[in-house]
Amino acid sequence: MPDSLPLRPGDKVFRPRRIKRFRLRRVLGIPAVFSAGYGNVGSSIYYALGIVAVVAMGATPVALGIAGILFIFTALTYAEGTAAIPEAGGSASFARNAFGDSAGFLAGWALMLSYIVTISISAYTIPPYLGYFWEPFKTSPIIGTFASIGIVLFLMAINVIGIRETSLINVTAALVDILTQVSLVVIGFITLFNPTILFHRILDTWPSPENLVTGIALATIAYTGIETMSQMAEETKKPEKSVPRALLMMIVAVLVIFAGISLISLSAMPPQELATVWGRDPVAGIAFYLPVEIIRTILKPLIAVLAGTILFIATNAGLIGISRLAFSQGTHNLVPPALSRIHSRFKTPYISIIIFSLIAVALLIPGFSSTDVFSHMGVLYAIGSLLAFMFSHASIIMLRIKKPDMPRPFKLGWNIHIKKREIPVTAIIGLFSCMGIWLLLLFTEPYSRWAGLGWMVGGIIIYLLYRWSRRRPRDEWQIKLNRK
Amino acid sequence: MFKDILVPVAGTGADDETIRLACRLAKRDKGKVWAVSVVTIKRALPLDAEIQSEIKKAEEILDKVETIAEEEGAEVETDVLQAREVGPAVVDEAVERGVSLILMGISYKQRFGQFSLGNVVPYVLKNSPCPVILYQQSSMKTESLI
Repeated sequence: MPDSLPLRPGDKVFRPRRIKRFRLRRVLGIPAVFSAGYGNVGSSIYYALGIVAVVAMGATPVALGIAGILFIFTALTYAEGTAAIPEAGGSASFARNAFGDSAGFLAGWALMLSYIVTISISAYTIPPYLGYFWEPFKTSPIIGTFASIGIVLFLMAINVIGIRETSLINVTAALVDILTQVSLVVIGFITLFNPTILFHRILDTWPSPENLVTGIALATIAYTGIETMSQMAEETKKPEKSVPRALLMMIVAVLVIFAGISLISLSAMPPQELATVWGRDPVAGIAFYLPVEIIRTILKPLIAVLAGTILFIATNAGLIGISRLAFSQGTHNLVPPALSRIHSRFKTPYISIIIFSLIAVALLIPGFSSTDVFSHMGVLYAIGSLLAFMFSHASIIMLRIKKPDMPRPFKLGWNIHIKKREIPVTAIIGLFSCMGIWLLLLFTEPYSRWAGLGWMVGGIIIYLLYRWSRRRPRDEWQIKLNRK
Repeated sequence: MFKDILVPVAGTGADDETIRLACRLAKRDKGKVWAVSVVTIKRALPLDAEIQSEIKKAEEILDKVETIAEEEGAEVETDVLQAREVGPAVVDEAVERGVSLILMGISYKQRFGQFSLGNVVPYVLKNSPCPVILYQQSSMKTESLI
């Protein structure tokens, strides 16, 4: 019915589904997907090492190694899910396809928490690295926190305007990131690595079993960026092949580099120092301890600039990720439409960018006074990400049960057979491991428990209210008769 | 010689003449014209985001293209593409369709007081899999449009 015709009592209104008349032009290849993913996962070592060292002390490399195995299982689950469902929502899309709208919302909402904390924690760790150039950035909590808030607000503004950013920038940044990290690992192994000292430091400061488990739980934040690759699927050429390949490449790169950096960090300094003096900028600590003067002189400023740049890109990636996710959730009617409203001039989802940036700023505010805000953010990050990972594993298992014949260009091996259904063992292990770690964090970390659960409960209330307000037939309804 | 011609259109004053030229070239070889209008999507949005105002604008541009092609008696196929950037989308479209020519209309533009081709044309010239013809609208017409 044309909009110009006035509606009269008794009229029936039918709104047909609009036929899509546009095609998506996917242009990204494996290097672009890999670099976007590595840019996110690889950046987390710049702060995760310090957070893990706070509790795991000498067992930091062990905690990162065990979490690395969990990361392999999770990455494999994402590979199967993304190849089968190459959409922008990542784990939220898997959950929606496997369990329905409500699970899709919950997974997406958990993922949003993880993105918000990515923004906060990445922005929070930029100033300490830049402390090489101006010490108060590292030593003064007020200046450091102000700088972090300034970074988030600056990125909020440029994302509302919508700057041009080519995938070339991501590819270059990831390449420079890998080169820097590999150089540091190689130079560190040649100049710093001493198995005897390392062995003694690990044994002398071995944590209690409880701290080791918490350390493993915190180490999962080092690997929480897999989602980025999954979100890139919808703009990737042949996503069913490219994304799993890029994910497998990332598994190898991340595990090798993270293992190298964690071993060298403990060769360079005692875990107590890694956890305190270099807690927020552990990679700068490694450069500080390099014994060759000329390498140290070159690497210290280089790492300050590179880590700052990479974390800046990671902050921006978090902001882009959350606005895309909010839009995607909005188009599936899972969040209020305001979150997917587009600015008439800039053509960006400005409301979601502004809201989520301000929440990220709110998370940074305790940084002015509290010293443990850093580890609180780390745990909160892990809580959001692990919940999203749980949904991914559970969705992959459920899809194997509900839709055994759906096309799966990448299918996980090692299956157990239950009632003619193939259930992947890695997804089962991943699901229960994530659940165990998640519950442990909820029980042991009160700040993150209340903040994380508060976020989820708040989301559920918004979701229920929104769904209730939409309880009317969407395609056809009748105008009420005026009976006087 | 040029059987299948790809014409990216953007709603500029040069579109009209470029499409006419493409139709005449294609007709001579009993070929076909593919006209595409690219809607760029900012990175803060998923690629499949439906921005109604932009899609409507692109469809209006393509409607005009179809009218011109009808006047010229040439076969034309139109498409709206959504992409992050125009240049790679045009090149990719040319590769996928296996076209024998990309014909691009440009109007006289200045940037910082100097003549500028912008970002899209140099990208297409550098990466195109086939010959590219640039058609610049005469400066007199451009001035009258301004």
